[in-house]
Amino acid sequence: MEENLSRNSTDFVFDTSAFLSLESVNLLEQVLNTFSITTTPSVIKELEDFAQHEDTLGNIAQRILLLVKLFRVEEHPKTLVLHYVSQTDEELYNLTYTKNVPLITDDTKLVYHTKDKIRRAFSTIFLGIFVDAGRMTKREALNKLELMRDIRNWQDNIIYLSSKEELNNIKE
Amino acid sequence: MQTEQLNIRISEDLVHDIDVVTNLLKINRSEWIKTKLAEEAQKEKKRLLIELSTLYAKGMITKQQVQELVGKEIAEEMEFIKQTAIESISMGREYGRKLKQKLN
Repeated sequence: MEENLSRNSTDFVFDTSAFLSLESVNLLEQVLNTFSITTTPSVIKELEDFAQHEDTLGNIAQRILLLVKLFRVEEHPKTLVLHYVSQTDEELYNLTYTKNVPLITDDTKLVYHTKDKIRRAFSTIFLGIFVDAGRMTKREALNKLELMRDIRNWQDNIIYLSSKEELNNIKE
Repeated sequence: MQTEQLNIRISEDLVHDIDVVTNLLKINRSEWIKTKLAEEAQKEKKRLLIELSTLYAKGMITKQQVQELVGKEIAEEMEFIKQTAIESISMGREYGRKLKQKLN
């Protein structure tokens, strides 16, 4: 196992989409071995629901659940209200607010509705992390992004196009 | 929910087809049409917004043009998502540099 930089604290809070995107390109274990990740029981429930299905996302969810010992699951009292999002997202918002760390999500709706309230980033943050940490080349990061886009059916969405442009701009 | 009446004319053949479907399904004709129209509108809206956001992300149209086509709220959301995607990579690179320093 690689060195975890802060085993006793939380570096990032993950929602379901973050877990799915990272495991879709086999990056989740490396992330979990490097950072302390926390999520909520509702996210685990969503992953268990995905895992019931024998399709691509179902298989990815099954693999994520095998890694459950590598991240924390914390129930958190819902004290702050967040409009226009699901109860699961509202719990994640409360957890992230309390932990004061970035929430990793690929849910554009959640990102938009938490604007100016908490720090957030798309799962593509880890492509930037691993490139600059010297653990992945720019080409490997771009390949992971392409794969993520295909499996997550992002097509030519803003996350994919803007992330691709930013990664292409990295000077090696 | 507030409603609005739309007056549309459809061919007799289409009415016949709809009647066949709703009779077989044993559901109300108006309800079936409303449901199908809502499903199709939602699907088409999603498809067109993805196309619009692609043009925006590629820099082929401006936020102002997006706003003129679909309104201020969607234009601001697109701008915000683009900014967050760019910041996610740059924030990641900062974390990456710190990680490299700590491990060295």
